[in-house]
Amino acid sequence: MKNQRFSQVVGMLMVALLAVTLVLSADQGAAAAGEINLMTWGGDFIPRAIINEFEAETGIKVNYKEVTSNEDMQSLLEANPNQYDLAVVTDYMVDILRQTGMLAVLDKDQLPNYANINPVYHGPYYDPTDEYSIPYAVSTSLLLVNPAGVEALGAQPITGYNDLWQKELANNVVVVDWSVEIMGIALKALGYEYNETDPVKVAEAREKLFALKPNIVRFETNTPEDSLVNGEAVAGFMYSNQAVKGVQARPDLEPVFPVEGMPIFIDCWVMSKEAPNKEGAYQFLNFIMRPEIAARIADLTKFTSPNKAAEEYLPEDFRNNPMLNLSDEVLENTSFYIAVDKVLDEYEHIYLEFKLR
Amino acid sequence: MQTLKRNILAVPILVWLGLFVGIPLVFVFVLSFLSRDSLGTIVFQFTWENWQRVFDPIYLRVFRNSLLLAFLTGLVTIVVGYPVAYITSNLEPKKRALSIGLIMLPFWISSLLRTYGWMILLGNAGIINNVLRALGIIDKPLPMMYKFGTTLVGTAYMLIPFAIVAIFNSVDKLDRSLLEASYDLGANKRQTFFNITLPLTLPGIAGGFTLVFIPALGLFYVSDLLGGGNTIFLGNMINTQVTRGRNRPLAAAFSIAMIAVVLLVISIYGRIAKDDAEGLFL
Repeated sequence: MKNQRFSQVVGMLMVALLAVTLVLSADQGAAAAGEINLMTWGGDFIPRAIINEFEAETGIKVNYKEVTSNEDMQSLLEANPNQYDLAVVTDYMVDILRQTGMLAVLDKDQLPNYANINPVYHGPYYDPTDEYSIPYAVSTSLLLVNPAGVEALGAQPITGYNDLWQKELANNVVVVDWSVEIMGIALKALGYEYNETDPVKVAEAREKLFALKPNIVRFETNTPEDSLVNGEAVAGFMYSNQAVKGVQARPDLEPVFPVEGMPIFIDCWVMSKEAPNKEGAYQFLNFIMRPEIAARIADLTKFTSPNKAAEEYLPEDFRNNPMLNLSDEVLENTSFYIAVDKVLDEYEHIYLEFKLR
Repeated sequence: MQTLKRNILAVPILVWLGLFVGIPLVFVFVLSFLSRDSLGTIVFQFTWENWQRVFDPIYLRVFRNSLLLAFLTGLVTIVVGYPVAYITSNLEPKKRALSIGLIMLPFWISSLLRTYGWMILLGNAGIINNVLRALGIIDKPLPMMYKFGTTLVGTAYMLIPFAIVAIFNSVDKLDRSLLEASYDLGANKRQTFFNITLPLTLPGIAGGFTLVFIPALGLFYVSDLLGGGNTIFLGNMINTQVTRGRNRPLAAAFSIAMIAVVLLVISIYGRIAKDDAEGLFL
């Protein structure tokens, strides 16, 4: 009996040893073909399944560092430019990294699949010559509304930012927690543009913003949709991928594209100027721009794909979702947060006053 | 030479502290006098601006918020923790070990996870509201989340073990014969507690308060999650300035100012615990 137990343990150990050897040898195989280091947002922003496929196909190992802010990525890149090959950063950060000379000029000859990118995304403000960045995920900020809840409070239906100021909505609005975005709501509600610098208009927006405070129940950047799902709030201003999740969890919630217009974000691939494995990085970029791969990424992450050729591979429910398949009409009414650096200090100060009310 | 020999064991920790606490602290101090450009890159140019902003009335209100939260957290943990510590120290050894073990147990679970636990408990669709609704006591959920009080509950819950353990040590060292003497001289339980026990355990109370007050100043995620970001505390503000605000010099100035507040609190504690040979810090 005892002997049998012993042989069982030995057998298990041998299996374990074998498994470890296999894993190690597989790792060595990958190392022989090289590895690439990329960093970006966590939460499967680059789906693991896609990375696995790339690793299996090319033998190049992908190291994925999860980071929580564009500014963190900026400092990591500045501290160790030769440690990272690729990063995905938001539009305005491409602009900053480009100006501070951290980025490599991309060689389009090595990226035949770049032709799949929708031309409407060519020549953006953050990279006018398309030399430094490749768009990866497009998202917007919009309003998610519980129409029945709004009605129950006796408020008018919500069609734009201005409707958030109705006094019936006291303690019933959730918003993402960033000064530039919240000031943007006030500016747009007054009919101005994002990141206004004119002192008179900014002062006006400050007063407008202060009047919104009683309506806000919660500032939350990561999961604002939860507040609508569990009924803490009847309206929210959040990122489109969050609104998509909110509607999935509770189909009676409705997305509202604010009549005043809305912000758009484009997360882009950039390459470090001192990338240690540029060849591997090009292979990876080319891989994720394949139409069927780009379509799967879009479906897994719930971000709009800038890949035109991917559209026919997208599932039906994705194509029918107005938040994901942005119509030209909606796209025309979007704008970037340009020149954040010029307004950040003042907006942060106003935002602080706003929160301390 | 003799003293060096005697203190040789302290050298590794001193080198460690010097390298990983001392030098970074000097760095942060220097940073608080530097400028930055609009892209957030540090510029080596001397300025008083960051320190001027620390004393700007609006930022002083952030200090007031944080001090109030930390003070109330200290108060709540002492008031709730004292009886727990007192009763625990009077238990028989086995039960006492169990009690201390249960008090320390939550430390084994991530504090972030425990904060989410409070959200599940207090939320509109949370456990308390669901139970009250099922019992027919309320028909609309009680709004318990995203208030100053919610943050206070969170920080007090998070830090109360520090207070209990500090007070426990103090009560445990209490010479019981003094209590007997007090009873012999005709004092009742109440008089004995307020005239003998409380004064003698004051160093423990001060120690517990200090141990709770200091981390309460910097716990930013509790107020983000439970307070719904509705109020700004020092920790939140420093966090925002380092990341999205792109103003590391300002964050450095606030960090140094926060350390100054902490030193002040510790020096007050030092005075209270002067006669206590086994103080926390000295």
